[in-house]
Amino acid sequence: MSGKSKAFTKEEELLLQDFSRNVSTKSSALFYGNGLIVSSIPIWLFWRIHLIDVYSNLISFLLVTLVSTYALAFAYKNTKYVLKHKIAVKREDAVTREMSRKLGEDKKMSRKEKDERILWKKNEVADYEATTFSIFYNNALFLAIVIISSFYILKTMTPAVNYVFSVGTASALLALLSTGSQ
Amino acid sequence: MFIGSMKVQFLFCIAAALLVAAYGEEDDNDGARLLVAKLIHNKYLVENMDVIVKYTVYNTGNAAALEVEITDNSFDPDNFAHMSGELNARIDRVPPNTNVTHTVVVRPRKPGYFNFTSAEVLYRRKEDAPRLQVADSSEPGLAYFTSYKEYDKKFSSHVVDWAAFAVMTLPSLAIPFALWFSSKRKYEKLSRNTKKH
Repeated sequence: MSGKSKAFTKEEELLLQDFSRNVSTKSSALFYGNGLIVSSIPIWLFWRIHLIDVYSNLISFLLVTLVSTYALAFAYKNTKYVLKHKIAVKREDAVTREMSRKLGEDKKMSRKEKDERILWKKNEVADYEATTFSIFYNNALFLAIVIISSFYILKTMTPAVNYVFSVGTASALLALLSTGSQ
Repeated sequence: MFIGSMKVQFLFCIAAALLVAAYGEEDDNDGARLLVAKLIHNKYLVENMDVIVKYTVYNTGNAAALEVEITDNSFDPDNFAHMSGELNARIDRVPPNTNVTHTVVVRPRKPGYFNFTSAEVLYRRKEDAPRLQVADSSEPGLAYFTSYKEYDKKFSSHVVDWAAFAVMTLPSLAIPFALWFSSKRKYEKLSRNTKKH
């Protein structure tokens, strides 16, 4: 078993991941870390501007932030998956050209290996662009929804209720939107 | 929480009307008669911010009031910083049917409830009056001084808070966007070059 898995090169493992929905541990950490930071930012708004009582709402802050972090990470992951394929198609020509230029002089490399390297690079570029764009898109949308709902839609509610609903709705909506666009 | 300034104005009018100079020669209709109103001019009473206190003296009598002295001992130096205007003011003459106003600015040193009590007024009803007439001004009554922090939170435009929010959100938006955009530009440029050839 271990002998078999050793047979895979790093490139091959990446290629295997290419069309799967699973994300690597590194990606996952990036998504959860980002989700946690962005989910925590609205606490500042509610504390300083909506004048929420911080101490009596500590539990609510903790729970809502955790749920929102999970929902955001889920949204990042789904958006990335959808985008990755679109970007891979778009970048195909450019990546092939870039890699051919780089590998063209290497006479020792076989045709098959060159193709593999191009495919691997294509996967890498698509993964990178999809990840960064997914994080940017979801963060921007999340903050926009939180601001609009807390300052306009739910402004008559008490800050504590406003917080739970604004942040909860924003993250839930993003998670839902990310699944709907598949 | 804040003093209802409208309500206070009404109360002071009534109180001022009632507080006719009451001591001494009441049976004598001749001479000056002063009505003194003490009024707080602020809409919001806030710790360490100016409180404008206005004393209005109105002479309803038929002679000029002389040597009018307004003394307000209600602003204890421990609780109030005196900013401007005399807390012990002297007006030489108030002609009949005229108003004279005097303004004092103080700053409360700490937040909390405070009872604004009356100021004391001494005056001579006529030139040959044997003794001074004593009167009290109206009392603005109980008020609450809000802490400066609370006031600032409620009424400031939160520019600093929004700026801090922008600083917090900027990395989470700008960094992924910049990374995505630089990669996109790089490959789109390559793609355009490919099509040209």
